[in-house]
Amino acid sequence: MPKCKKSEGQAIDYASKLLPPAEEEPFEAHLKNCQDCSDAVASYTAVLALTDKAQDELIVPEIALKNIEMNVYKRLAATQEQTLLSRIRAYFVSGGSPFGWYKTAAVSSVAIALITAVVLIGKPFQSEETLRLTESQSADARIEEYRQQGIQRNLEEVLITRHLRNDAWETESQLHRMKEQAHGTNWTKVADKHLQSLQSGDSTAQ
Amino acid sequence: MDKLIDDEMLVAQFQAGRQNAFDELMKRYKSKIFSYLLRSVRNYEDAEDITIEVFFKAYRALEGWQPKAKFSTWLYKIASNLAIDYHRAKARHPVYALDDTEIPEARLVATDLHSDPEKQLEEKERGLLIREAVDQLSPKQKAVFMLSRYEGLQLKEVAETLDMAEGTVKIHLHRAVKRLQTLLRPLWENNEI
Repeated sequence: MPKCKKSEGQAIDYASKLLPPAEEEPFEAHLKNCQDCSDAVASYTAVLALTDKAQDELIVPEIALKNIEMNVYKRLAATQEQTLLSRIRAYFVSGGSPFGWYKTAAVSSVAIALITAVVLIGKPFQSEETLRLTESQSADARIEEYRQQGIQRNLEEVLITRHLRNDAWETESQLHRMKEQAHGTNWTKVADKHLQSLQSGDSTAQ
Repeated sequence: MDKLIDDEMLVAQFQAGRQNAFDELMKRYKSKIFSYLLRSVRNYEDAEDITIEVFFKAYRALEGWQPKAKFSTWLYKIASNLAIDYHRAKARHPVYALDDTEIPEARLVATDLHSDPEKQLEEKERGLLIREAVDQLSPKQKAVFMLSRYEGLQLKEVAETLDMAEGTVKIHLHRAVKRLQTLLRPLWENNEI
């Protein structure tokens, strides 16, 4: 710590390269005549060089960054779904109008249709063989099951991002990637169906 | 066209309904925010989760955002507040000590097959000691030091990010550097670093 108290802050600023340009030249002149401040600047500079080097070693791998965008959209989608559910719940709690049963019936029908659609889209070609898979199945069969689940997850992600971003180009490229991944399975037909509806501007397949 | 105008234009485009503008903002800042949080929380999974939360909050608040400060400053402010919440929660419910071997730096060193393993270990220990010294700073000193030193924010931007006067930022920064000098001096004098 320099004995020349007046310049201690300046020594730190100088070492941190934060000294205002107008103060730089006079301080450099002061350094020539003040051993305390010169030592302090050398010491602070060395400390900062060490901490810089140690922090530079922390590197964020690319793979971690790839997932950020998708997870942000998933989080947003989950919140939107939650909001929709809260609204439906609030509606039922409030009781509705004297003709409320019409609305209740309509909401129930939509809910049933949505659940049916999710079940159909989620597992459209799941065969009985897949359903019967157990711990005793061969490793190949289990790997195939995981592959099918991965393709299904990718499709769900495509649909979520499509819903949130209205980004036809990205959705189309995602569907093409999914189709490549699903080569040789019935999922290619699902991808084709969504691609066709996307190209024709029809949103019913979403 | 400078970066400030670019970011503001993207925000304006997003506010006008172009969702892709937010993708571009994420692409620009996800690495910076992730590194900032990784330095702060020193845990890979938590840094990833908080980064997601930062952009989630930004997306929801961007509709009403006004360009009073730079977009990046605003984003760092969200990240900084979430990091403070994280540290508070961690202090209330300490589960386990932070382990530096969890973070990617450990893997990075191990991939350099041509260097001397003993030297690698020394380097790793040296890095750990220095980062531990930074962790010993007070929360405010650490936040000011990291934003100014590693994120390249101007003192004015650090002040806006942390809701402090610029003079206070400078005081915290001076104290941080002096404290680091005190903490690291014994190692330095013994030629351990």
